Amino acid sequence: MNRNILMNAALVGAFVFVATAAQAQCRSFAKNKCVPELAPYKFNESFNGAQLAPGEEAEVNLTFYSGQEYRVMVCAHPILGEVNWKLVDANNKMVFESLADQPKKKFDFKAATTTQMRVVVWVPSTKGKTDMVHVGCVAIMVGFKE
Amino acid sequence: MKTMRIQNWLMILAMLPLFTACGGGATEQDDLNATGTADTTQDARLQKTKAIFYSVPSPMETAGLLKKAGATYNSKMLNDVKNVDRYTSASKQALNLGVYGADLSYASVFNQTQESMFYTSCTKKLADRLGVIHAFSDSTLEAMEKNMNDRDALLDIISETYWSMDAYLKENERENISVLMIAGGWVEGLYIGTQVAKNNDTPELRQRIAEQKLSLGDLIGLLGSYEGDDGVVKSVKSDLEALAAVFADVQVGGGGASLSEENGVAVIGGESAAASLTDAQLVAIRDKAAAIRNSYIN
Repeated sequence: MNRNILMNAALVGAFVFVATAAQAQCRSFAKNKCVPELAPYKFNESFNGAQLAPGEEAEVNLTFYSGQEYRVMVCAHPILGEVNWKLVDANNKMVFESLADQPKKKFDFKAATTTQMRVVVWVPSTKGKTDMVHVGCVAIMVGFKE
Repeated sequence: MKTMRIQNWLMILAMLPLFTACGGGATEQDDLNATGTADTTQDARLQKTKAIFYSVPSPMETAGLLKKAGATYNSKMLNDVKNVDRYTSASKQALNLGVYGADLSYASVFNQTQESMFYTSCTKKLADRLGVIHAFSDSTLEAMEKNMNDRDALLDIISETYWSMDAYLKENERENISVLMIAGGWVEGLYIGTQVAKNNDTPELRQRIAEQKLSLGDLIGLLGSYEGDDGVVKSVKSDLEALAAVFADVQVGGGGASLSEENGVAVIGGESAAASLTDAQLVAIRDKAAAIRNSYIN
């Protein structure tokens, strides 16, 4: 009985440890692989990253200030392949879209007026293609130029 | 038998992240909401999830926006460096790590070398007390001292340190401390902007202050995703909801956006007029921001 309790505790501990380590790796991936790709734009220091699997989504609301130039980029770990993402306005009207079969790495623009928009990312489903679940880091990155 | 099943389930959960290549951490500012069941190929992931993030402008971005809007530097507005030793609870230390971080960004953006050193020292002190030693090490301090006269290099180091502190806290399951730091920094940024507008009231500055209504909504969302049983996070969220009530009638750009092109560059323009503030709104926001900020620093 005690042995089982200890075993369970050890497994939970292992899970927490591995999950924390994976989280640190995701951040490290974003810092090392994604932030440099924002250059010459300055990273806005807001890391919006998640561990996603095929079929899953992430979204973030972003405020773009008038007079500033921006680069919006979605950076996904290669294990996931290309992902889909779009930038939509407050009325859900699409401003920019990048699809996995015709990926565009980044979207550079100037904000003429201050606007709030939403980036939505979704990882294409692998249903029917493989039974293996690949989970990988997806980061939504924003850089700005004054 | 039942225990065995639990063990197997835990084993699957424990091994799941090992299948990742980047490791793919959970999230920084995520709030994982179940939106349905998993695909049949994803039996191990029990729920299909949607990660929702809340992005709040960093103190450095806010300080840069204020400067561009015509703000001037006034050290008297900032939190007194002598206050640093008064913050003994982790929550006060976290809030004031954000406050001093914003003061440091403001001083640095305005190239105030001596003030920047003072605020660097306060920030480091609070970071040490919160155990964020790895993110803000002695070598970081040395790098800042070495680059004190190179504004761009210094701003990069400060930004990097802010990111590292936030990351360190979140990776070590101290998200509540991280969100308090972000909230403290945001409140200080609004406080500085509204105080500057007392003596240097320009339409651009009013516009930037009004626009904080947008990021305030995101900040409240961020706090909401981590409030759980944390009384201080709940209380800060409540402070900011009261501030949001003061912002309620402020008109800010929103709604639709239109896309055009100028010299090969995409230009996004909102369909609504630029944000603005009436005199009464400015005073109300200034007073509320000052009351909240003063309750954090005292």
